Amino acid sequence: MHFFTLPGRLLGVLGYSALLLITLPTIVAFYALIGFGGDGVAWELLSDSYFHAILYFSLKQAVLSAGLSVMLAWPVARALYYLPDLYGRRAFLALCLLCFVLPTLILITGLVALLGRSGWLVPLLGEDWNLYGLHGILLAHIFLNMPFAVRALFLQLQGIPDSSWRLAAQLKITGRQRFALIEWPAIKGRLLVLSGFVFVLCFNSFAVVLALGGGPQATTLEVAIYQSLKYDFNIPEALTLAWVQLLIAGSLFFLMARFGAMAWLSPDTASRSFMPRVPKATRVVLYLVYMLAWCFLLLPLLALMPGLLALDAEKWLGLNVFWPTVTTLVLGITAAALALLLTYLLLWPLRQARINSQLMQMSGRHNSINGYSRLQWSLEWLATHNLVAPAMVLSVGLYVFFLTRINVDQWGIVLVALLNTVVIIPFAVQQMRPRLLQFDDQYQRLCASLKLSTGQRLQIEWPWMKQVLISTFALVLLLAMGDVAIFSIFGNGDWMTLPWLIYSYAGTYRIPEASLAAVILLVVCGLIVMLFERNN
Amino acid sequence: MLLIDKLTIRRGEDMLSYDLSLEAGKIMTIQGRSGAGKSTLLDLIAGFLQPEQGDIAWNNQSLLHLSVEQRPVSMLFQAHNLFEHISVAKNLQLGLNLSTDNSVSEVDVETAAKALGVEELLQRKPTALSGGQRQRIALLRTLLRPEPLVLLDEPFTGLDDATREQATDWVLSTARQYHKTVLLITHQDEDVSRLADCNLKI
Repeated sequence: MHFFTLPGRLLGVLGYSALLLITLPTIVAFYALIGFGGDGVAWELLSDSYFHAILYFSLKQAVLSAGLSVMLAWPVARALYYLPDLYGRRAFLALCLLCFVLPTLILITGLVALLGRSGWLVPLLGEDWNLYGLHGILLAHIFLNMPFAVRALFLQLQGIPDSSWRLAAQLKITGRQRFALIEWPAIKGRLLVLSGFVFVLCFNSFAVVLALGGGPQATTLEVAIYQSLKYDFNIPEALTLAWVQLLIAGSLFFLMARFGAMAWLSPDTASRSFMPRVPKATRVVLYLVYMLAWCFLLLPLLALMPGLLALDAEKWLGLNVFWPTVTTLVLGITAAALALLLTYLLLWPLRQARINSQLMQMSGRHNSINGYSRLQWSLEWLATHNLVAPAMVLSVGLYVFFLTRINVDQWGIVLVALLNTVVIIPFAVQQMRPRLLQFDDQYQRLCASLKLSTGQRLQIEWPWMKQVLISTFALVLLLAMGDVAIFSIFGNGDWMTLPWLIYSYAGTYRIPEASLAAVILLVVCGLIVMLFERNN
Repeated sequence: MLLIDKLTIRRGEDMLSYDLSLEAGKIMTIQGRSGAGKSTLLDLIAGFLQPEQGDIAWNNQSLLHLSVEQRPVSMLFQAHNLFEHISVAKNLQLGLNLSTDNSVSEVDVETAAKALGVEELLQRKPTALSGGQRQRIALLRTLLRPEPLVLLDEPFTGLDDATREQATDWVLSTARQYHKTVLLITHQDEDVSRLADCNLKI
């Protein structure tokens, strides 16, 4: 078929090259660290109480963050679904997207202004309140991930066909039966996968824990890796922690990919003309939930504003935020464009493998389990492995590798762009893969039957993919723009980015200046989200 | 001449086998209960499935070693015959290659569109069409494509009686005009009596 023509094969080769390109940094980073460490892995660390404490905390905060994010998201998603005439519903969905991709330092600055030692709300919280530690980490993780879960669950609910609700209404079944027969089956598979995904994100969390954690009682593996590299340059210890992190996050991610069938929904079939009637009391509760969600998401952002007033005119003018803004945008756009191109290419062999596997199955020759061939599993794993590979290990390993080979100061900014590309690719894969697979499912046979050339096929794919490409571009652009971890290793003062500027100000307790930089970054991110939502 | 010789394929627990021949320019209707293997036969001829044994030959040349793109086959599926996100006109252009293929002109397409009652729909997107309208657009393209062998998988599903009569008449006259060899799956005896030179019951 089309995938197996000469241009198709050429794209396949490019796809495998793209996969190699994104896998290479991981291999090189581990190779460099293992080679540099000499002594290899510090296995004795595994029986150390320090290690037990950080492992326990990493797991505890990730489980709590994931559980709470998804549990709190559910009623909000229900409110959005069952009350389609909610005031500001579209804006709320846009805000959810903004919160998920919000550079962490904006949120942390906002949380500190709101709940830090002299925060607005602290007088209401009593003497014992302390933002730093588990409280703060959970709040930040819920703020960042609950909106993502809201959007995902809302999308899942929207996928319930009208016919189910019509049938339920016609059969006059009760609200409880409706929940058990329609709503729960629609979301139960998604809840587990979603929790697993949020768990992985929180388990690997860096900036939040670095800023709001502290001591072995509130440190995650990722931060411990950073500390062992930055303060002691103890590579065997960092490697041990990295292997443990990779093993735990990787296993969970593998299980999710293996068993958690993501039911991606076709936007073409998501039209809704009939909705179940919601009792008045439920409406009131859902409305309240919706208002509370607005408050929860807006407060940390609004808390940045008073900081701006504390700045006098002289300081406003003295702040050089123009070039950091330009650098952030240029870096983000470069990484996002590269990520989109590489993702499209690396998905090509995956699609090829999937179609091969389907053909084999249709012809009665099974080479797969549940329609998935081993090759397809391996390709998917490789394409998204950077989601679980510790970013800190990747950065430091590459730093060690390049230190003796190139002028890292000179090439640092290029490496920042390239590494950001690699790190955001799993998100681009998650966004683009379902739409491309849907194209294959719907049109692969038609393309083959019409004997379309690869060029014609790409021309057809473009309008099909356009919207998803734009939204994916916006998503990965925002994620890349918020990077701190990679910049902390390769960046330098000549190429200051906005998140790093915020970090520098916050690190020297210049909170008003940090607030101003955070607001500028927030406005830029907000504009990008607005453009994206308009496209939607 | 289409010759299907001791063709077998395994579908789950069942082994399906086919043996038939059809002269060029003739129309064969295929009938049978659901799951009997009618669509499987068309998929085998089009190249979407590979048989375990046997041969499919067109004009004494085996088709088995040819890919879907290389086979002299034009096929109408039960669903997903049009790209939903591009206009009907663009959909037709994709299959018909009016600029390079001399056997069919734009006038032929217009005439066919009028005969099938879809001439007003060319600038719309498929999502704005009813199921029956989509089916007729796809039918038009499938039959006007240059390939001599035409496979139609339940082409008249979803058409009302009047439109069905209109469409069957058009298929018959077009197949004769362009000397197409047609295999057509149907559940309606009426289609068999109107169209078939021979009928295969599976």
